[in-house]
Amino acid sequence: MIDYEFVQAIIYDGLFAAVAAIGFAIISNPPRKALAIAAFLAAVGHGLRYYLLHSDLFNVDIATASFFAAITIGLLSIPFAKYVHCPAEVFSFPALLPMIPGMFAYKSILFLTKFLQSKDQTASFQYIEQFFRNGITTIFVLFALVVGVAIPIFLFHRQSFSSTRLKKMTNK
Amino acid sequence: MDIHQELKELSKFLSDYSTSLMAVGVQTSRIVRNTSRIAESYGFYVDMTIFQKTIIMTLRDADNSHSYSTVNKIKPLGLNFATNSKLSTLSWEAYDEHIPLEELKRRYHAIVNKPRESKWLVLFLVACANASFCRLFQGDPTSMGIVFVATLAGFFIRQLLMESHWNHLAIFIISSFIASLIGSTGYLFHWGNTPDMALGTSVLYLIPGVPLINSIMDVIDGHVLAGTSRLINACLLIICIAIGLSITLLITGISTL
Repeated sequence: MIDYEFVQAIIYDGLFAAVAAIGFAIISNPPRKALAIAAFLAAVGHGLRYYLLHSDLFNVDIATASFFAAITIGLLSIPFAKYVHCPAEVFSFPALLPMIPGMFAYKSILFLTKFLQSKDQTASFQYIEQFFRNGITTIFVLFALVVGVAIPIFLFHRQSFSSTRLKKMTNK
Repeated sequence: MDIHQELKELSKFLSDYSTSLMAVGVQTSRIVRNTSRIAESYGFYVDMTIFQKTIIMTLRDADNSHSYSTVNKIKPLGLNFATNSKLSTLSWEAYDEHIPLEELKRRYHAIVNKPRESKWLVLFLVACANASFCRLFQGDPTSMGIVFVATLAGFFIRQLLMESHWNHLAIFIISSFIASLIGSTGYLFHWGNTPDMALGTSVLYLIPGVPLINSIMDVIDGHVLAGTSRLINACLLIICIAIGLSITLLITGISTL
């Protein structure tokens, strides 16, 4: 039996991730057609991560979920790179932007300053625990995202490094 | 043409080319590949060392009897994926079509001088993006509205200060402070049910996502030094975001974030 509310939540998650990807990508001035592809990839990737995080079937942590979402984005970006003659990272990186652990990153800094200011010992232990929790999550998610998106590039080495080549590949 | 003259001309162009690539946020391994590809199309070989502020390279001919070295500062350009993509295409064009150097320079300048997206469009889209980001963190529509306004103000200030060439760390502290101050109105006036998310996501538009991804990519590719310096730069910016946010928390007395 399909849980329609859950499916709806995944679709909304994907849609908002697409808007977020477009907005965060446009700061770095991507080509227009790459922007549309980035939005699509972000929707697929973020939707998949939402599903992996919230479904009873998998119940994985955020780093593993991000890893699989990034692999999906990387795999999908290679045929697109061939099609529009852009380096794959021109749209796979913007697609990753909504998953960048920004809040974990600055929270770990905030907890560090709270630890410094705190005079109560139990509270300061909690702050240092929170610092490590947020900091480690940041590093693991970041590595998971980048390694995930890089694996397809290494697997399809030839295609991804010559995707900006306009001339047809000939046998040399 | 005299071989020294030829090496000198190409060396100058390649140094220009690679420093532009570094400035627009290309991963280090791609810079090396693209630059070597252009050098190869003229029958030369290039070796380069890439730092955060300069690129050192030596161009030499096939039998290693003549060489020319350059050191060049990284250009002060912003991140630009369109330039990244076009300059990569240019390296393949040089490789496949054997374009004369003058023509290559002309195409290169046409690519680099292409105008960016209009700043008002960028401002609007970034505000929409951050508002929908708030929704991804389970914020309600009121919080989304607060985040939209906060981002609009914060990013506008950032654009203004960048045009007047302020220190980039100062810009990050100021725009993070302004965005979070507007983001905290949800707490102060009890608007909406998720004021913590409004405050928490209001500064996320500043997170340097592309430099973070590039830095990890460089470390994985083996360009550890370049990757580490990019990572430290990105971390500095995140610390500045946290400082701006702390100022808001200090002024408003909110302690639950």
